[in-house]
Amino acid sequence: MYAIALALSALAVDPATYDRVVKPLLGKSCVPCHNERNASASLNLAPFQSHTSLAQGRDEWERILPKIRSGEMPPKGMPRPALQDVQALLQYVKLEFDKADALVKPDPGRVTARRLNRNEYSNTVRDLLAVDFRADRDFPTDDSGHGFDNIADVLTMSPILMEKYIRGAERISARAIGADPLPKKPMEAEYHSKDKNIQRVDRSTIEASHRVEWDAEYLIRIGLPGERSADSPPVKMGFWMDGKLLHTMSVETKPSKLVYFNPYSEEEFRLVLPEGDHVFRAGFIDDPFVKTLPDKEAYSDKKNKFLNMIKFLGPFPAKVEKASRKKILTCEPAVAGCTEKILTGLARRAYRRPVNKAEVASLLRFVDVARKEGQNPEQSLQLAIQAMLVSPHFLFRIERDPTDRAKVHPVTEVELASRLSYFLWTSMPDDELLGLAEAGKLRAGLDAQVKRMLADPRSAAFAANFAGQWLETRNLDSVKPDPVKFAVWGPELREAMRSETNLFFEHILRENRPMAEFLDGPYTFLNERLAKHYGIEGVTGPDFRKVELTTNQRGGILSHASVLTVSSYPTRTSSVIRGKYILQNVLGVPPPPPPPDVPPLNEESVGTTASLRKQMEAHRSNPTCASCHNRMDTLGFGLENYDAIGRWRDVDGKFPIDVSGAFPNGKSFDTPAKMRELLKDDLPEFARCLTEKMLTFALGRGLEKYDRKTVESITSKLASQGYPFQSMVFEIAHSLPFQSRRGEASLPVQKQETAKK
Amino acid sequence: MMTRTALPRRTFLRGLGAAVALPWLESMTSAAVPKPPVRMGFVYVPNGMDVRNWNLDYEGKLGQLSRIMKPLEPLRDEVTVLSNLTHNNGRALLDGAGDHGRCCGSYLTGIQPKKSATDIHVGISCDQIVANAIGNQTRFPSLELGMEDSRQAGDCDSGYSCAYTNNLAWRGETQPLPPVLDPRAMFERLFGVDAGLSSEDRARRNRFRKSILDFVSDDTRKLQQDLGPTDRRKLDEYLSSIREIERQLERAEKDNAQINPGMSQPYGVPADFAEHFKLMTDMLTVALQSDMSRVFTFLVTREGTSRSYREIGIADGHHPLTHHRNDPALMEKVSQINTYHVQQFAGWVEKLKSIKEGDGSLLDNCMIVYGAGLNDGNRHNHEDLPTLLVGRGGNAFKPGRRIVSRRETPMSNLFLTMMDRMNVPVENFGDSTGRLSGLNLG
Repeated sequence: MYAIALALSALAVDPATYDRVVKPLLGKSCVPCHNERNASASLNLAPFQSHTSLAQGRDEWERILPKIRSGEMPPKGMPRPALQDVQALLQYVKLEFDKADALVKPDPGRVTARRLNRNEYSNTVRDLLAVDFRADRDFPTDDSGHGFDNIADVLTMSPILMEKYIRGAERISARAIGADPLPKKPMEAEYHSKDKNIQRVDRSTIEASHRVEWDAEYLIRIGLPGERSADSPPVKMGFWMDGKLLHTMSVETKPSKLVYFNPYSEEEFRLVLPEGDHVFRAGFIDDPFVKTLPDKEAYSDKKNKFLNMIKFLGPFPAKVEKASRKKILTCEPAVAGCTEKILTGLARRAYRRPVNKAEVASLLRFVDVARKEGQNPEQSLQLAIQAMLVSPHFLFRIERDPTDRAKVHPVTEVELASRLSYFLWTSMPDDELLGLAEAGKLRAGLDAQVKRMLADPRSAAFAANFAGQWLETRNLDSVKPDPVKFAVWGPELREAMRSETNLFFEHILRENRPMAEFLDGPYTFLNERLAKHYGIEGVTGPDFRKVELTTNQRGGILSHASVLTVSSYPTRTSSVIRGKYILQNVLGVPPPPPPPDVPPLNEESVGTTASLRKQMEAHRSNPTCASCHNRMDTLGFGLENYDAIGRWRDVDGKFPIDVSGAFPNGKSFDTPAKMRELLKDDLPEFARCLTEKMLTFALGRGLEKYDRKTVESITSKLASQGYPFQSMVFEIAHSLPFQSRRGEASLPVQKQETAKK
Repeated sequence: MMTRTALPRRTFLRGLGAAVALPWLESMTSAAVPKPPVRMGFVYVPNGMDVRNWNLDYEGKLGQLSRIMKPLEPLRDEVTVLSNLTHNNGRALLDGAGDHGRCCGSYLTGIQPKKSATDIHVGISCDQIVANAIGNQTRFPSLELGMEDSRQAGDCDSGYSCAYTNNLAWRGETQPLPPVLDPRAMFERLFGVDAGLSSEDRARRNRFRKSILDFVSDDTRKLQQDLGPTDRRKLDEYLSSIREIERQLERAEKDNAQINPGMSQPYGVPADFAEHFKLMTDMLTVALQSDMSRVFTFLVTREGTSRSYREIGIADGHHPLTHHRNDPALMEKVSQINTYHVQQFAGWVEKLKSIKEGDGSLLDNCMIVYGAGLNDGNRHNHEDLPTLLVGRGGNAFKPGRRIVSRRETPMSNLFLTMMDRMNVPVENFGDSTGRLSGLNLG
């Protein structure tokens, strides 16, 4: 702010021009409602009649400009200023701001030492040691800020988290090396319909949550009561863990000819399972027969063959060597020099930078400590790995400043490698990236690396973590649609919804499609479950594929069931939430929060005595509400053709759906497709919104005033190329705040706001 | 050294676990039976209350309770209803919208949280002041529990970081303490996953842990020298967490006994609210009973939560319901949720009461605040916060009454009084103006 003020005074805004171009319009069209006595939206524009407001009221100006640009202000019913006057004002103000910004000293900002969040921790452990560890199931929730959970300042540390890190390191290193003996006797865990500890997903699928205590091999037995008619074909049975198909086999369904009172058979197979909590599922794949059975025969053992039990027997030593051992044990730890070699390599990768001899020596000390306690060489290596995993060099991403801390300086190439890998992979740099950085060749080959990283499957984490938070689809885990109204809701549909949006995002990213396709791309990604949900024919099986859309019922993220579900109440749609969602996540202009004590809306009568829309319209007749709700509700109602779990509908209860509306600029629509079409007029706003969010995610900090220039330059470059999405990633990777940093002055700044005792 | 004095040791232990080793009972071998310690805790429910069905219309001795408090009626002699306590620092005071974020952040700190999505800053909470002072006497200085995973995406409340609504306890101005949500994680923390280890193996593991902690704290101190003040502060949080674990380890060495909680390890998070609540409080009961900790906070669900309550036939989200626009049907549902919460709480209080301790019950030696950070969830007002105090704080309070304080009496005054009771007297706390009058006996 101060810098801008200085800059402006240096450039001396010409008051005469301001008084000619800005002052009259403001005075006539804005100040009557936004003044000292009547500050609508807490905005008093009287002082803005002076040119000094350009410097002093920049924040307010940034809020005002989009409203004038879109025609939202002055509101309907007020006299409209001439279009060319509005244009002149917008142009003039933008010019002045550009002039001011050009003089601002470039500031990359400062990123606090960043603790790995739960996803980063899990992925880093996976890439470092080939151990599948789910920190999200074990560690306390990471706090988030600005809508993302990788913001350095709010990633705090607490004793409970430290406890988890210590235990986590013990388990992870033990699993990685596997030097600790398995229990001598196998144990049995049974999940059975009679004990009510299995869930029936459908007539021929059962599911159980089970904690696997050791990485090892287990014997799995499936209970199959009943039989079908003599001419029944065998069915294919599948066995899944956490949604991943691990095993298939053929199962006979016709009578076995053995004389049974209650026909029953069991199938068994052996699998290597990873330690941890998992959801296991067994079921028949493509079993059309059960769909023909009437309800009462579904679990009749004379009419059907079905599943009722999953049993785990183990652990047994796995015959195949663990991936983690192959990865880590590059030599025999008992042989002199081997442990040192292993630890040197591991520490470099774990700390994501070159390590010195002293650091390796301090880890090797643990090998001695363990040896003295009678541990074997592999167990001793395990202890050193454990220490490494609790080290601040592993748990934090720390960037170093030169002696003159406050000076802007490029981050080192090694630091840049981590910035890139946690941005695009939510994980550590791989050998290629780290190797290039150590050789000082990363900056020179930056584009090639970004391209490679985006093409790598690890970039799916970018879709899951960035898009999952930007589009709020992570909330699919916490939403609970009313099971009475939405009986089809369940884990399978939920996961299908999530996959659609992730795959769509990945497609636009990897194929470098224009960003406009987020808003109305005429294709999507479906499996049978979701296609059925959408009423789209011809998609069979559980696998997702790209589907070209033949009608305009759907297109783009705003027609994804995931987005439509997370922006609904459990029992009904909400034009307010959906409108707010679009303003916040697409247009980047979040509405202010509602005042408390809002007047009543008759919930029970929605869909029965009056449509939601009619009720909301009545509600909006209150002028205080109207200023925000006009825009919000228009957008929200534009999506009313989709119910609270994203199904298409033409009526709500007894009332036909009316989605029609008009944007502030006068353009109107009467279908969701037409609204999406109109939203593309706001592509610059959308691009800015998405740039701001992605930059926040990439940097791990909130954006500041000095970041405006970066955002501005990225969006104008994107505009000139037709908004190809990948370019945003490249531009961010090249941007000043991503490439460099500024430290803090060395003198510790004492916080003064301490509770005064 | 055990003497043969026939002390009614088992009488302390009725309830959950069978053989619970009470560290503080070691001194029972001396002549005088020590007084059981006082425990302090806070149970927080979000989104205010349907105050129409909460408020009582009389002062003094409790008779018939309001609809929401009804489940506590059989226990009314253990309950103090406190009225007119206010958190002024939960109010906007020029900071604009965000009452949910603010009321939770200020609840135990008495400080207005800094409005920021990232630069979190509030005060140390009163439970942590006590934990810092007396926590070294127990295995855990304090326990933080919760039942709801934090919102995964989107903003939390109008520019307030989710840290303010995800946490109740603040160890320092910038260091919240996240609650444990998963009963299994809680079980493992309290009762150990390593019950299968021999005491020799456990001792060795603890030696390993200690040497690792030594190593990383040395490393951290070296690392800190080169860092700027904010980064150094981040690593200070890390160092102080290490020190806390070291202390726990030392304690565990002295007191190697494993506590048998008298229950099997729970698996995962139950979907049913009442079952989850019961599991968490069952374990908390054992922890209090066996003196693993004397201080706890329990964030039942988060401020602004949209949790629905299928368990009692409510499919709508809690927060949307509280903005009921005076629709009687919606207000009714809010009352039902409020009552349902109190019902779970009452079940737990009953259990605490059933556990004998000294001459009375475990409950007698507790003082547990049950309260909300907003008065009316629709109006977002911060005065007359719905507040109950259960237990006698070790024969200090006389419950069974409703105490109506002067309007706008700071909630912080109650906390000062409670801290006194924990023998951690503090001059001022938050926006306190003095001790809460009328609470103490005589």
